[in-house]
Amino acid sequence: MRLKLTSAAIPGWFGVALSLLLLAGGHAYAQASDLKLEVQLIWGTNDKQSPDPKHKPVAPEVLNKLKELPLKWASYFEVKRISFTVPKGGMTSVALSEKCKLDVRSLGKSKIEVTHFGKGQEVWKGTQALPKGETLVLGGNAPNATSWLVVLKRVE
Amino acid sequence: MMDYDRQLKLQAYLDGELSEAEAREMGNWLARDREAVALHTELRNTRQALTGFEVGIELPESREFFWSKIEREIERQAPPEPARHSWLAGWRRLLVPAGAIAALALAALVVTKSGSEGTPLEASLADPGAFTYRDDSARTTLVWLSYPAENELADSEPSSKVP
Amino acid sequence: MTEKDHSSADDRALVRAAQQGDMRAFEELVARHRDKIYARAYSMMRNEEEAIDLSQEAWVKGWQRLKQFQGESSFSTWLTRIVINLCLDQLRKHKRQRTESIEAMNEETGGVERQMPVVTVNPTAGLERAELRRRIDQALGQLSYEHRTVLILHEFEEMEYKTIAKTMSCSIGTVMSRLFYARRKLAALLADLKRGTGDERAASGGE
Repeated sequence: MRLKLTSAAIPGWFGVALSLLLLAGGHAYAQASDLKLEVQLIWGTNDKQSPDPKHKPVAPEVLNKLKELPLKWASYFEVKRISFTVPKGGMTSVALSEKCKLDVRSLGKSKIEVTHFGKGQEVWKGTQALPKGETLVLGGNAPNATSWLVVLKRVE
Repeated sequence: MMDYDRQLKLQAYLDGELSEAEAREMGNWLARDREAVALHTELRNTRQALTGFEVGIELPESREFFWSKIEREIERQAPPEPARHSWLAGWRRLLVPAGAIAALALAALVVTKSGSEGTPLEASLADPGAFTYRDDSARTTLVWLSYPAENELADSEPSSKVP
Repeated sequence: MTEKDHSSADDRALVRAAQQGDMRAFEELVARHRDKIYARAYSMMRNEEEAIDLSQEAWVKGWQRLKQFQGESSFSTWLTRIVINLCLDQLRKHKRQRTESIEAMNEETGGVERQMPVVTVNPTAGLERAELRRRIDQALGQLSYEHRTVLILHEFEEMEYKTIAKTMSCSIGTVMSRLFYARRKLAALLADLKRGTGDERAASGGE
């Protein structure tokens, strides 16, 4: 039977198509599981030491990763590290500092949506697949020619 | 003859690398030691000879040619455009009655496939000043944001270094 | 920003525009500073082709890293540092590839410059600028890359000893020794060149 599409028929077809969409999306969600992630807030600087004694130099594997990127700083210090879980289909909010927060939403099949908040305002939002071995780095300039970096990766 | 360490200290004095006390001591010594004066003069002459050495050295390629190579390389190394735009544009184009189902079916397909590994970053709230760098071999995506804004950086307290 | 605006804009405005993706603004920056960047690369590499390639690479990296530039120095200083680091990387590769001559090893371990007699006559006095540059160019070419680099970083880039040490991954003591050797060697070479010219003139009957 050939389907005849008219403007009157559209709402009906949309409903069918929407159902297909939801089914497909539901299928994708069904394949997801909880995501175990780790996020680090890092300070990039050309100083040899951080003025805050609680900051420690980043681990060698993180340093190597940052050195592969077109970043100019000589030293990187871990300000905070948080391991967290994002339930399948859900969202987890992670406060990295007073001013920096990430909302990470699971979209299914390793795909996440990351919303970065700075001083309570949405600064950036993006989606990316983050399987094990994949790293997402957000960064920006900080006072006195330094930088802030947020490094996000899967840990399971 | 001056010992080597003294000679290096004389050089440091010329270069303004000594502390005030050491510079004063060196100045006093220079006032009474002819060998030191001679060496100091030689070092100073050499420094003066080098002044402005690079002025007038010109890149031996035309402006246009040199720029064209840079532009080409920048484009070659630029990260790929996010797939979202072409997907969205395609979705909108198909928003006509005959194509509505095909578009939504396509959307369904994308949803099921988009969990696959290595898909590019898609920014839905984009920072117009941001840029994205992707290193496939390192499996790392860097998004460099313009946050905080320049004026916020200037106004920040020196102690509040990390946002 | 129009093309006319670009040519009349200052570097800061061009950088801001380029950071927003304005390639024409960046092109104007290239046009303004390409000679300076090339000159630095040439001083370090002593090879025209390599200097062109490395300065081109520096500009590409400058574009990629532009958003990280926060105005902590002038734009040309910032880009010069990029080309210096590229040159240093390239020079280190060269060093690994070539066999060290005994003379070069002696230079490294030092000692020679400690006994060099002081050059009392200013070897640059009375020279035309172009002739002086030619002689300095010749003399620089006879230094090892380590000595030449320290000299360039100190004299042209105006870096302090500790910054040079960090850039070259060596101690401040090594920086001081190399700088001292480079300066004394340069003075001796310039004096030799001056004496050479004097001898030629004497032989030809003088002026």
